[in-house]
Amino acid sequence: MIRDFFRRVLALMKKEFITIWNDPKTKGIIIGLPIVQLLIFSNAATMEVQNIDVVTLDRSQSVESRELLSRFENSPRFRNFYYVDNEAEFKKKLDTQKVQIGLMINNDFSRDIKSGKTATVQVMADGRQTNSASIASGYASQIISGYGMETSSKKNGVGINTSVRNWFNPNLEYKWYILTVIVAMLSLVTTLILTSLSIARERELGTFDQLIVSPLSSLEILLGKSIPPLIIAMALTMVMTGIVIVSFQIPFAGSFLLFMVSIFISLLAIVGVGLYISAVCNTQQQAILSAMTFMMPAVLLSGFISPIEDMPVALQYLTWLNPVRFFMVLTRGIFLKGTGIEDVTTNLIPLIIIALITLTLAGRTFKRKLG
Amino acid sequence: MKILLALIKKEIKQILRDPSSIIIAFVLPFISIMIYMYGINLDSVKVTMGIKNDDPTPEVATLVKSFGHSKYVNSIYFDNIKDIEAAITRSKIKGAVIIPNDFSTKLARGQNADLLVITDGSEVNTANYVQSYATAIANNWLISSKYASSVNQPAINAEIRTWYNPDLNSHYFIVPGSIAITMTLIGILLTSLVVAREWERGTMEAMLSTSVKTIHIVLGKYIPYFILGMLSLAFNIFLCVVIFQIPFRGNYLVLLLVSGLFLFTSLGIGLNVSSVLKNQFLASMVAMSVGFMPALMLSGLMFPINSMPVFFQHLTRILPPRYYVSFIESEFMAGTVPEIVIANAIYLTILGLILFAAVYKNTSTRLEKVSTRTLRERTPERQVRS
Amino acid sequence: MNTVEIKNLTKYFGKITALDNLSLNIEKGKITGLIGADGAGKTTLLRTIIGLLIPDKGEISTLGFNPVTQKEELTPLIGYMPQKFGLYEDLTVIENLTLYADLKNVPHEFEKMLEFTKLAPFQDRLAGALSGGMKQKLGLACTLLGNPEFLLLDEPSVGVDPISRKDLMQMVREMINPETTVLWSTAYLDEAHSFDTAVVIDRGRVIYEGKPHDLAPTPQEFENKVIDLMGGYKQENSKIAENYTLLKDIQDCTVEADNLEKKYGNFYAVKNNSFCIQKGEIFGLLGPNGAGKSTSFKMMCGLAKPTNGTARIMGIDITKDPEKARSNLGYMAQKFSLYGSLTVRENLEFFASAYGIKFKNRASRVKEIIEVFGLKDYADQKSEELPLGLKQRLSMACALIHNPPVLFLDEPTSGVDVITRRDFWNHITSLARKGVTILVTTHFMDEAEYCDRISLFYHGETIALGTPEELKRKALELNPAPKPAPTSGEGELPTMEETFITLIKESEKE
Repeated sequence: MIRDFFRRVLALMKKEFITIWNDPKTKGIIIGLPIVQLLIFSNAATMEVQNIDVVTLDRSQSVESRELLSRFENSPRFRNFYYVDNEAEFKKKLDTQKVQIGLMINNDFSRDIKSGKTATVQVMADGRQTNSASIASGYASQIISGYGMETSSKKNGVGINTSVRNWFNPNLEYKWYILTVIVAMLSLVTTLILTSLSIARERELGTFDQLIVSPLSSLEILLGKSIPPLIIAMALTMVMTGIVIVSFQIPFAGSFLLFMVSIFISLLAIVGVGLYISAVCNTQQQAILSAMTFMMPAVLLSGFISPIEDMPVALQYLTWLNPVRFFMVLTRGIFLKGTGIEDVTTNLIPLIIIALITLTLAGRTFKRKLG
Repeated sequence: MKILLALIKKEIKQILRDPSSIIIAFVLPFISIMIYMYGINLDSVKVTMGIKNDDPTPEVATLVKSFGHSKYVNSIYFDNIKDIEAAITRSKIKGAVIIPNDFSTKLARGQNADLLVITDGSEVNTANYVQSYATAIANNWLISSKYASSVNQPAINAEIRTWYNPDLNSHYFIVPGSIAITMTLIGILLTSLVVAREWERGTMEAMLSTSVKTIHIVLGKYIPYFILGMLSLAFNIFLCVVIFQIPFRGNYLVLLLVSGLFLFTSLGIGLNVSSVLKNQFLASMVAMSVGFMPALMLSGLMFPINSMPVFFQHLTRILPPRYYVSFIESEFMAGTVPEIVIANAIYLTILGLILFAAVYKNTSTRLEKVSTRTLRERTPERQVRS
Repeated sequence: MNTVEIKNLTKYFGKITALDNLSLNIEKGKITGLIGADGAGKTTLLRTIIGLLIPDKGEISTLGFNPVTQKEELTPLIGYMPQKFGLYEDLTVIENLTLYADLKNVPHEFEKMLEFTKLAPFQDRLAGALSGGMKQKLGLACTLLGNPEFLLLDEPSVGVDPISRKDLMQMVREMINPETTVLWSTAYLDEAHSFDTAVVIDRGRVIYEGKPHDLAPTPQEFENKVIDLMGGYKQENSKIAENYTLLKDIQDCTVEADNLEKKYGNFYAVKNNSFCIQKGEIFGLLGPNGAGKSTSFKMMCGLAKPTNGTARIMGIDITKDPEKARSNLGYMAQKFSLYGSLTVRENLEFFASAYGIKFKNRASRVKEIIEVFGLKDYADQKSEELPLGLKQRLSMACALIHNPPVLFLDEPTSGVDVITRRDFWNHITSLARKGVTILVTTHFMDEAEYCDRISLFYHGETIALGTPEELKRKALELNPAPKPAPTSGEGELPTMEETFITLIKESEKE
């Protein structure tokens, strides 16, 4: 009895593997595309604003103003400098996005410094890229006040030295953060597409009837349908994690076993969502578009773009239904912070519940859809 | 012409009968814009921080208080470092400030006081906020404290102005930017499925034996989805401008024209994927990877293109979202800047035309792909109808 | 004057030679039947004639054009109906017609078409919701639009009931003019016999070309002659049946329908359908397309839930314990529904395990069934690449892989060549003799003769139930029009096809 069960599930799994794995095109796309994306996005996606282009309008043309500008030139964050002599051109450079920042020094700059008054440098940032604008202008004002401090007459007074220690990521490297996010996102996309199409495709091609007529029970179909994508997604995630550790030299802080278990359960919840979508939809188009409709909000509300604690309370509760949220917390937490078993468990429980609910719904739905 | 019209009509009917295309064109953008407006905040993120004060003087107590009063900080008091460590590891707090016991003594002596800030480096963005909030609050406290008279003051003051978005409201750029993502989804994901579907269902073979020419098949897909995309665009703009009151300083005609060009290039990508792969599963995987993910990651919407390594900066040039994001943000916030509009429009047109040519080439009116050269080689001569 | 002239045509698909140095002329204004075994190259030939495929060697001239270079000039003059006609299932009947009329640049005059196809009352129904016969009629109607000079039909009558089949034939004959050339690929030899010319191809070569009447005067003899041409059929003992071992405890009523009913809104798709099939009996479910056969079938094997009543297989209630009931069942679906991306062997292995065949027996069982079904040459080919007939053969093989005591066959022979059909029925009847209970639907009336009992289904209800002979006698009573009696006394009885039509017409009167 129980052996029959395993035999049938194994047969279905093997069939799923063959359909996915036999076609070299499919294989290449499932494994190759995420890895290429990982390599591209991890290198390209950074919030550390660099290569800032600057336009300057120096009306002072004094020793002090030139000194200040040379500080900018020597800073690695700033790249190209355009020196203009009238406001129209200054404005044009900003308008046309040639530069991200403009520095305007008035002709009383040097006089003010010498007379002990506070001199002013105007920093214009291109607010169309609001985030990088505020970061870039932050850098600019640091340089300016640094130089201002040196020229200040009141430089022997008191101040507060803030010494910062960044735990888990001492140099606060953006790559460490974004890589864990990208790995999670890419496994999410692959798993969701794999599973959401799996039943819908069989239905569109008519093979699902044949499955139903065989003595395979709902549970067996469910297992046979969820294990292969789970294994593929799991392998993919492990390969990507390996790449992250080896080629980006990011230290893996936590327990590897715990990491595997967490990924497994996270993917299981996503497989559940995918299979449920697949069971509900009649065509592949519907399935893929529904998967998208789930994925967009799920990613946006996962805490990756802006922290969950900062969302309105209602949305915060909504994120409890979002497997991607826990997935991201777990990958990042175990990978970078070495989160322990206790905290992993609190994040795993909602995932297990989501997985149970979606998988049960999926199993029930494809039975009920028989009409 | 009649053939083309018939194909367009057919496609529109199919779009209208399948709720999923309507969902992707209208419901999903609505949900995303709602989330961007209410769920996502990139400007003044509120963070939960721990505070441990080892200097129990009344003066320092006001510093602790000012952490409590800040609207950007949610402060929790700790007595020992062990608890802070545990709280950060468990993500209960995103960072902590530790005031050492010689803090006020040092200030009173005219020395610089130290403030220790700890952040959770696993969340880089929040860590940056923690750092800058702590510094800003401490410095503000200092100039209003009794040590104010002896505070260091720089001789130069940076006066920062953010053009086009003086309030630094990130919604003003992220919501219009999200239109680019919706347009990509319609242009690439939806269309990547439709040609593949015709091959899978066998409707292509019957069509190929009628008077349909390649150009009919190609335009018969471009035009209906172009219309759907433009309707969705209009709906998105309506949501942005009328419902969510995002200021629009540009020109609607220019906006529509350039958006049209962007849609044209996206459709080109989607239809290429679809006519090459002829299988909905593969087509959607590829569409996600060359369409959706780059639109999110490589368009300049979330990550500044200038900061990328040079190779990747060049890579973004072959992807249409870059040009569109640059255009749409500028059009919304700065109004029509002719240079930006023209430069982006030219790039998009060139990309779009190349892609169109590729779609045309990849669409065959036969069941197998044969180049015209082999056709001539294989058939020696003539045969004109008698 | 020839519509098509083909000289030394060769077409390869990878290593397979689909057309092998084939030369053929097709006469203008005639209906030519194209006959051949599955995989003989019929579809490839049709596709090559109109330029959908490019030949590797040889020359073709179609209507004076070279389809390789002049496809654009050629296509407006032809009507081609592929095997799987491209109806848009999410468009209505009238929308499909309008679409194809526009694609062919002809006016929207559909009255005559709708009248012929009897689709007028359904013109606003989605094509996907039509019955199989109606879909084929609509497909043919779309093909006939614009009075093409040259009509190519790739097995249009597959899966169509006898009445609709007559309609299709009549449609073609009445809608064309004497100048029109028709190339009609078919598996029905009675159909082919009625054409002007018959072309038999085998392994990519023409093996007969001439008037069907020159080959044989009657359809039955024609069939035998064609079979001889194609290498002949020798009835052997069925290896499948020989290898079959029946489970011990079999009850009398192995398959039982108990008041089955399916209601959609106010419409009864199936109404109080009850029957009991004995062990070893071949029970035929006959009826026009859309009569409710498929629905009954689906309810019997648990693919659809009956709104009332139930079905029992080996005494197990299908609604209560579907998995257990189904483990006794071999099922062959109407539409090819095996995994296209899996090879023949992999499909068989999958179904072997799905039906619980033990690992150690699996390999030998699969090997055996591949041999018995003549799939050896195709064992490692992807099943989606097989011609229709071989796909059906594979479906049958999958249904039989676990030696089920009950076999449900939904149009098992539609689209299958005549030799394979005879072979199929040899297996089916031998299996029945071994005690397998068989429930079968078919549109081949000659096949109905193999059934022990037939239930004739119309408008969701059984209108006649009995042995073929009983039904024939009933038809004779109803329609005593005397037929010229051939030599034997038994000849007075009508043919099965006539019986079918008479009984259906009679029920319509009521």
